[in-house]
Amino acid sequence: MQVFNAFFKVLRSKLGIVLIYMIVFVALVVVMTFTDTASGMFEQERLSICVFDEDCTPESAALREFIGKRNDLRELENDNDTIIDALYYGRVDYVLTIGKGYSAKLAAGDTDGLFESKRMHDSYSTVYMGQTLNEYASTVSAYIAAGNDISAAVSKAGDAMLKDAEVTTISFDNSSGGALSLRSSFFFRFLVYVLISLTMSTLCPVLLAMNRKDVRYRTDCSGIRPNSYTLQLFAGSIIYIFLTWIVLMAVGVFMNGGMFEGMQLIAVLNSFIFMVFSALLTILLSSFSPSINVINIITQVISIGMCFTCGVFVEQSFLGESVLAAARFMPAYWYMRVNRMLDGSETYDGSLITQALLIETAFVIAVGAVTILIRRIKLSDTSALIAGRVRA
Amino acid sequence: MFLHNLKYELLCNLRAPALIAWLMIFPIFLGIVFRIGFGSIYENNDLFGAIPTAVVETEKDEIFGRVIDSVSGEGSPLLIVTYADNDKALDMLKNGEVKGIIYSGGKVTLTVAGKGIQETMLKAFVEQYGVYETIIRDALEHDPAKAPKVIEALSSDIKACTEIPMTQGNPDPYAQYFYNLIAMVAIFGSVTGLHITENNQANMSPLGAKKNCSPTPKSISLIASLTGSFIAQAVCMLICVTFIVFVLKVDFGGRLPLVYAAAVTGGIMGVTMGFFIGSIGRLSNEFKNGIAMTVSMVGCFLSGLMVGSMKAVIAEKLPWFNNVNPVAIISDCFYCLNLYSDYDRFNFKMISMLVYIVVFTALGIILSRRKKYASI
Repeated sequence: MQVFNAFFKVLRSKLGIVLIYMIVFVALVVVMTFTDTASGMFEQERLSICVFDEDCTPESAALREFIGKRNDLRELENDNDTIIDALYYGRVDYVLTIGKGYSAKLAAGDTDGLFESKRMHDSYSTVYMGQTLNEYASTVSAYIAAGNDISAAVSKAGDAMLKDAEVTTISFDNSSGGALSLRSSFFFRFLVYVLISLTMSTLCPVLLAMNRKDVRYRTDCSGIRPNSYTLQLFAGSIIYIFLTWIVLMAVGVFMNGGMFEGMQLIAVLNSFIFMVFSALLTILLSSFSPSINVINIITQVISIGMCFTCGVFVEQSFLGESVLAAARFMPAYWYMRVNRMLDGSETYDGSLITQALLIETAFVIAVGAVTILIRRIKLSDTSALIAGRVRA
Repeated sequence: MFLHNLKYELLCNLRAPALIAWLMIFPIFLGIVFRIGFGSIYENNDLFGAIPTAVVETEKDEIFGRVIDSVSGEGSPLLIVTYADNDKALDMLKNGEVKGIIYSGGKVTLTVAGKGIQETMLKAFVEQYGVYETIIRDALEHDPAKAPKVIEALSSDIKACTEIPMTQGNPDPYAQYFYNLIAMVAIFGSVTGLHITENNQANMSPLGAKKNCSPTPKSISLIASLTGSFIAQAVCMLICVTFIVFVLKVDFGGRLPLVYAAAVTGGIMGVTMGFFIGSIGRLSNEFKNGIAMTVSMVGCFLSGLMVGSMKAVIAEKLPWFNNVNPVAIISDCFYCLNLYSDYDRFNFKMISMLVYIVVFTALGIILSRRKKYASI
């Protein structure tokens, strides 16, 4: 167990940096979860609309009230830069200006150019609000044509247009809601990024120290067999990562508002398998002994690249077929499929969940096997080198 | 002496190219991932397209048929209509081929399978048809003489809203991921910057020890190292922007030279940040590396690299923070050049970067000067 003990000795010497990464990543997963939970609660059919009223009449106030009944009214500074920022980042969907003289023009039956809308592109919200405003104006005109005065026409138009149509919503999904709460679902989703990044950032310095040429040559001179060396390294790495995973699960329990139970335990198992995969991938990469700077950049490439293609940072439903087809060759894709079935985004299918977990396990076995193979080749190379030097 | 040191600094980068190569490879790889991932999201989900809808006629309704024809005809239609029987329409809804089923004949009703803006638009269409029907019926019942005027008011083609486009640039919100990617490459220049102190301090590396023994003044050696790193990082930034703009065809607006200038300045800021972090105290290289990576990563996260809405959330809750987060400053430069017609905010961001460069360099020099090593 000398290699195993040495592993933890090296780890202890790097505890400072491990703790920094740990705190940062735990903070990141909490912020990510809260940020996206907040946006997930947004009701799709209610748009965020900012209305600038330049007319300031009872009729323009009535229009503002009408818009506010089915949408969320947002206040913005009437400044081009602020409006561009708000539209680009989706803080508002539509910016409407009720022009001066709106009420007088409407009363006179002139319905053209009553409003101005500021837009970034032809979005659904732009077209929808454009239609709604046209229909509002023509409804008010029709009531005026029917003999009502402007205030009565505005009132009647608002009442008529707020009557709900008969809409039936049918569900083709057989699932009865998700086993994971919204917050837990986001937590397990972003855990993919944190598990890969945290594992690679904290485990690599330790493994690189163990793999340093002089240390490795010294180990090769000892009586430890290469396989035993690798397995002790595996054990040390997995125990260390298991401990960090326990910390992350404790954060998950806090997010969940209680212990995980029932179907939620599948999500815990899913993250456990992914954790083992991350640890083995890290051991594999460190076998090539890159510099710590290069490891940091590779960590970003793998973690961010995998998260974007597998639907962690962007919903799988938004990604194209070709992207998802390529993502099937990465364990994070299967991790996300399980997560989506558990949170109700996809129809729950027990056999598909089992299949996804088995595929993830197959990735773990494959990476483990490749790691053992590469380490054997590397260790036998150095043994041959040392033997050659001794003979010489 | 300066040129001699600069020459060897550049040769060092060329002969041990692992870091620089990775700094070039990773934006190329992630850029391709982003391009494939986001390639069609904007066109498919954000830009308006006619809504596929099934119409099931339980009874023949000529007026409704004409209304449907008017919104699904030539020009810019609102709906793409497929007439079908109930079973086929339900199948189409289940397979996602249509967003809703409109049942006509008697009362017009709608069936949908989801809740989104397209379903909302269908609901609004059905409701409006009901409103027009009620108004005409009321007019005919109460004052038939005014009915023609009412019908004329309802059927006239009006354009109540004048649309004002806010930008001539690329409004694709997914372009911000590319801005953040370039900002990430720039801030990862801090890793290059860390090498400057590592290679100039005797207690950090054998090269540092050798340099300290040499008669070259430390200031010249440091400035040569900084200049060499600036050049290497600038090359990385130029390659990164060129690849994203010309190979991945991401639209950065029409002011490309300024995009290059902002990227290079951002890269230099990243190097100086690394130089400053490297000069702090007697911490180990690994620890300093960890600090640089943590600062860079958190900066990227808060700038919206991982969660796109993050910058907007920060702008709402902590508006000052986007003006001090180095990553947000760099990505804002590209954003301003793309969307704004004037240069006020871009100039402010560029000045912020220059201030950071001066402050980081000055602090780095102050922290690393006058370090003497006892003879052992």
